Amino acid sequence: MTVLTSIRDIYLVARFEVLRAVRTWRAMALFVLYGIAATGAAFLFTRLVKTMENALARQMGVPETEVPGAMLQELMGSDTFRSMLEGMVGTSEAVDEILGIPILAIFNLWFGFILIPFFAASASAESIAIDMQSRAIRYEVLRTGRLELVIGRFLGQLMLTAGATVIACLGVWVVGMYMMRGNMAMSLAFWLVWLSIRAWFFSIPFVGIGMAMSQMTTSPAWARVLAVGVTAATWVAYGVARAAEGSDRFGIPADLALQILPQGYMNAMWEPVGWLGSAVVCALLGVVCMIAGFARFARRDL
Amino acid sequence: MIDALRLEGVSKQYGRGGKKALAGLSCRFPAGSICGLVGPNGAGKTTAFSVVSGYLQPDQGTVDILGQGSFSAYQLKGRLGVLPQDAALSDRHTPRELLMHLGRLQGLSAHAAGDETARILEIVRLDDRVNNRISTLSHGMRRRVAVASALVGSPELVLLDEPLAGLDPVQAHSLRDALKGLRGVQTLVISSHNLAELERMCDWVVMMADGRCLREGTLAEVTGQTSRVEWDVGSDVPLERLRSALPGHTLSMDGGTLIQEAPDGALDKSSIEIMRVLADVGIAVREVRRGVSLEQRFIDETATDPKGDTPDR
Repeated sequence: MTVLTSIRDIYLVARFEVLRAVRTWRAMALFVLYGIAATGAAFLFTRLVKTMENALARQMGVPETEVPGAMLQELMGSDTFRSMLEGMVGTSEAVDEILGIPILAIFNLWFGFILIPFFAASASAESIAIDMQSRAIRYEVLRTGRLELVIGRFLGQLMLTAGATVIACLGVWVVGMYMMRGNMAMSLAFWLVWLSIRAWFFSIPFVGIGMAMSQMTTSPAWARVLAVGVTAATWVAYGVARAAEGSDRFGIPADLALQILPQGYMNAMWEPVGWLGSAVVCALLGVVCMIAGFARFARRDL
Repeated sequence: MIDALRLEGVSKQYGRGGKKALAGLSCRFPAGSICGLVGPNGAGKTTAFSVVSGYLQPDQGTVDILGQGSFSAYQLKGRLGVLPQDAALSDRHTPRELLMHLGRLQGLSAHAAGDETARILEIVRLDDRVNNRISTLSHGMRRRVAVASALVGSPELVLLDEPLAGLDPVQAHSLRDALKGLRGVQTLVISSHNLAELERMCDWVVMMADGRCLREGTLAEVTGQTSRVEWDVGSDVPLERLRSALPGHTLSMDGGTLIQEAPDGALDKSSIEIMRVLADVGIAVREVRRGVSLEQRFIDETATDPKGDTPDR
C-alpha cells in the first residue's frame, strides 16, 4: 500500500466518520450543546458588561445604559475591566494587543479555551470504542490499516469540532448584533471566526485524548469518563504547575509540565503572530495523544 | 491443488487461564472451491475466522492467506472478504452508502464502487432497498447486507460465518444459489451449523472440534461417497458369494441393508457385480445410498473423538 493509498483511505474514513456522526445525531448533539453553551455564555457576558458599564456610569455621573456596549470605550479604559481582561488573556501586554478586537470575540475565544476541551474529548471518546463494542469496526479494519482508520477518525472528529466552533460563532454573533451595541457585523464575524481557529487548534490535544481513550476500552461510556477525567486532570495539573512555576523546589517539573500540557500554550494563543507556533505544538500534542492510544489499539483483539 | 488458505498449528487462548479456543488448528482450503467449516458450538470456527481476518492475534502457528502470509490489510486489500458472525452494521446508513464506502476502502474508484454495489445488492436481492436506512430493514435483510459487504469487489477469498442464519427458506435458497454461482471464481469458506445446507453447496469440508481439525477433504471423501454404499434390499443376501466376487471389499448386513466399503476407486465397477449377484438370487434393490450424510459423518466424528464435544449442545 502506497502513501497515496493511505491518504485516500484516511480521507474516506474521515468522510464516513462525519457522515456517521451526522446520521446518528451525535454531531447535532455536539453542535447544539456547544452552540447553546457558547451563546448562553456570551449572553451572560453581555449582562456582565452592562453591569460594569452601569457601575462606571454611576461613577462618572452619566445616565445608565439599557443595552450593553454603549460605554464600551470608556469601560475598556477602566482598571476593573482591564484587570478582568488580563485575567482572561494572561498578561498586560496581551491586553494591549487585543484592545482593537470586538470584546465578544475575545470572550468567545476565552470561553472556548475552557469549554472546548471537555466537548472535544467527550465527543471523540466514542469514535472507536462504540464500534469496538458493536464490532462494526471489523468491516473497516479488514479493508484498511488500523493506523489509517484511527487517523481518519481523528480527522473526522476534528472536522466535527470545527463545525461546533462555527455554530458557536454564529450564536455569539447573533448575541453581539442584537443584544449589544457597537458591533460591526462583518468585523465581529471575522474576529469570531479568526479567533475560533485558535480555539480549534487548542481542541486538538483534547480530541487526541478522547481518541486515545476510545482506543483503550470497548465501552464508550467508560471511554467518555476516562477522556473527561483526563481532561479535567490536565486543568488541575495546569493549575498546580502555574502555582509552582518559578519555585525553587518544583520550578523545573512545573516548567516541564507546562511544556507538555496544552493549557501551557493557552496564553500564547492570544499573541497576534506567535499563536501559530502554539497552534502547531497543540496539533503535535494531539497527534502524540492519539498515537499513545494507537499503541494499544494496534495490538488489541477486535 | 493450490490452497487459498492454510492454517498450521494455530492456537488462541482468550485471556490468561481462559478457554483455549484454538488448539493447534491445521487445515487447508483449496482455491476456487466452496469450503464448509463445520463444528459444534465452541469448536473454534468463529475464532479461526477472526484469526484469519486479523481481528484476533494467534498465540502460536501460522496462517497463509492467498500465498501472502498472515493477514495484512495492506497486502490483502480487496482480496479478502469476510462476513463476521456478530458484528453490527452501521445502521444509520443505507446499504448503498455502506457498501460504497467499503468498496472504496477496498481500492475501487467511486464509479466502480457504485457499479459493484448495484451488482452485489442485486445478487442478495436488495436492489429495491438500496436507499433505505439499514436500521429500517428486517433482520434477514440486514444479514444480506452483511453478506453483500463480504462479496463486494469480488475478493478472491471470502469467509462467511453463518451466512444463512436468520434467513427465511426463500432467502436462504436464493443466497445459496448465488453463492454456488461463485464456485471456481472465488474461494468461499462457509461456517454453518446447518450441515444439510453446507452439503448442498460445498465441495471441500473441514470438521473441527475443541479448536482442532478432526477431518478435512472433499465432500465425497468426508462423507464416504467414494468408498461406501448402502444397498437397501430388505432381506439377507449371499454375503460369501459377494465377498468372493469382490475381494478387498468389506461387506456386512445391518438389518435389511447391505453395507459395502470399497477400496479407493473400486466402487463404481463393483456395483455391476453386486447387481448381478442380487439379480441371480432374485433380490430387488429398493434404494442405493452413496456415503453418509455430512451430518451423520459429523456426529460419528465428534462421537469418536476422545475430546469431542457433542454437537449443538
